Order: sequence, then C-alpha cells, then structure tokens
Amino acid sequence: MRGLALNLLLAVTWALFAGQVAVRELLVGFLVGFGILALFPRALGSAGYVRRSVATLRFTGFFLKELSLANVQVALLALRPRPPLNPMIVAYPMRLEGETAQTLLAATITLMPGTVAMGFDDERRVLYAHAIGLPGAAEARDSIRRVEDALLPVLTRRATPEVHP
Amino acid sequence: MNDFSPLRDIPILIGSFFVLTAAVGVLRFPDLYSRLHASSKLVTLGSAGIFLGAALELTEAAAFTRLAAILLFQFLTTPLSAYLIAQAAYLRALPPRLSGPDEWNQLGRHPQPGDEPPREDPAD
Repeated sequence: MRGLALNLLLAVTWALFAGQVAVRELLVGFLVGFGILALFPRALGSAGYVRRSVATLRFTGFFLKELSLANVQVALLALRPRPPLNPMIVAYPMRLEGETAQTLLAATITLMPGTVAMGFDDERRVLYAHAIGLPGAAEARDSIRRVEDALLPVLTRRATPEVHP
Repeated sequence: MNDFSPLRDIPILIGSFFVLTAAVGVLRFPDLYSRLHASSKLVTLGSAGIFLGAALELTEAAAFTRLAAILLFQFLTTPLSAYLIAQAAYLRALPPRLSGPDEWNQLGRHPQPGDEPPREDPAD
C-alpha cells in the first residue's frame, strides 16, 4: 500500500505543477509517477507495488481474452444441433489460501470457458466446479489451474517466498 | 436516429447477440447446472457490450465512469449468484445430468424440510 500512496502523491504533485487538479492531469501524473516508481524500486521501496500492478494488468488482459473465448464457446454450444456438453463436476485442490483469494478464483472461473464454481469443501482447500464442453476432468482442472496461475502473482506479496529467520 | 454508427452499434449488436444466445442456451441445455453456464457467462459479456455501446453514444466522461462501475459490479455479482444457485440446488439434491464424474459426491447433503431434525450435540 506504500507504493500506491506514493503513486497517488506523485499524481497530485504533478497536477499541482501542471496548474490544474483535474482528471486528465491526475491521470498523466499517475502514469508518470508509476514510471518513476518502476525506475527506482530500490530507493522508493516500490518493487512489490510495481510487480503486483503489472501482474494485475496482465491478469485483466488474460481475463478479458478468456471471457471472450468463454462466450464464443458457450454461444456455439447453445446454437449447435447436438451440443457435446459432457457435463461433470470436478474437484480442484487450490493452492490459493485466504477467503478473498479463493472468492476471486471462484468468481473468475465462473466467467472462464467451461467451468462454473459450485462449492468448497469444509476445510476450504478444494473447489468444486461444474464443467461443460471439455473432454475430461483433467482438462477442466487445467483450465482452473491457468486461472490460478494468473491470479497468484496478483495476490502474493513476494515473487518467491522468502524464509524469515 | 436512423443512421448506422458502427462505433456505437457494433458493440450493441454483439452484446445483443450474446444475450440472445444466453436465452437459447437456457432453453436448450439439459439441466440447471448447464444452464448456469449460459446465464452467467453470456449475459455478463452481452450486457457489457450493450452498456459499452451506450457509453460510446453518450461520449461524456460520466458515462464512462458509470460504465466502469456497472462492469465492475456485474463481474462481482454475476458469478456470485451463479455460485449460490448451483450450490443451493446441489446441496438440496437436485440431480445434475452428468456424463462425466461427480467428484464432489455430496448430492443432497443439505438437510431438507421434512427431514428428521439433526441430532442434538451432546456438548450443548
């Protein structure tokens, strides 16, 4: 959150120097500020913020692409004469922990091709999903795993887990 | 208003197409669980297209901030309602039509009205 606060501060500073605190100046200032934070991560302590911001942008791109694919897939299934639905319910052991992360995963896979989230087990370690239009359970799990792969860098604070002494 | 403006009309047409296929999917798919695929995914992108077209027609900043808010809440609420409907149906033993496995294997675990009352916990 320190990185975000710095970025907002830089945006306001830029807008003040531009002489107008308006949406446009603030947006430009935010982008310039992000550039500064990305250039000097060590001095400003912003490496984590920059990495997670990039991961969030990547995830948004991945999400929009997959959402479009999902829609074309279901639309085709809805319009074909005899759709090969192959419905099944698969169990997916999650690597993500924490309610926010798991809720985001469940919400995202519902909008991704082939899967709709249905429930968790009592320990909240396994996600159950209804799948259609996929050849088998392994493919359904792969599809959820790709979503989790895209979400992991957004939600974890460090790229590689560090050992604390 | 009779002229065709591609920037405005193409998103609306694409959105309407997806909403229409959502209706077709809900009619044609065999059970509640498969229908949720149509009603969640297709309606999300379909209505997004219609709202995008409307914002491009209005071309004011306020229209785009509202568009962003609408999309955000759609992406948050649609999967949630699909999840709740699927879970409630499954735990209340609405049988899914499956050709693959049911790896959850807890169909109807939720107590139904008219069931025997759950045994009292001795710790209470």
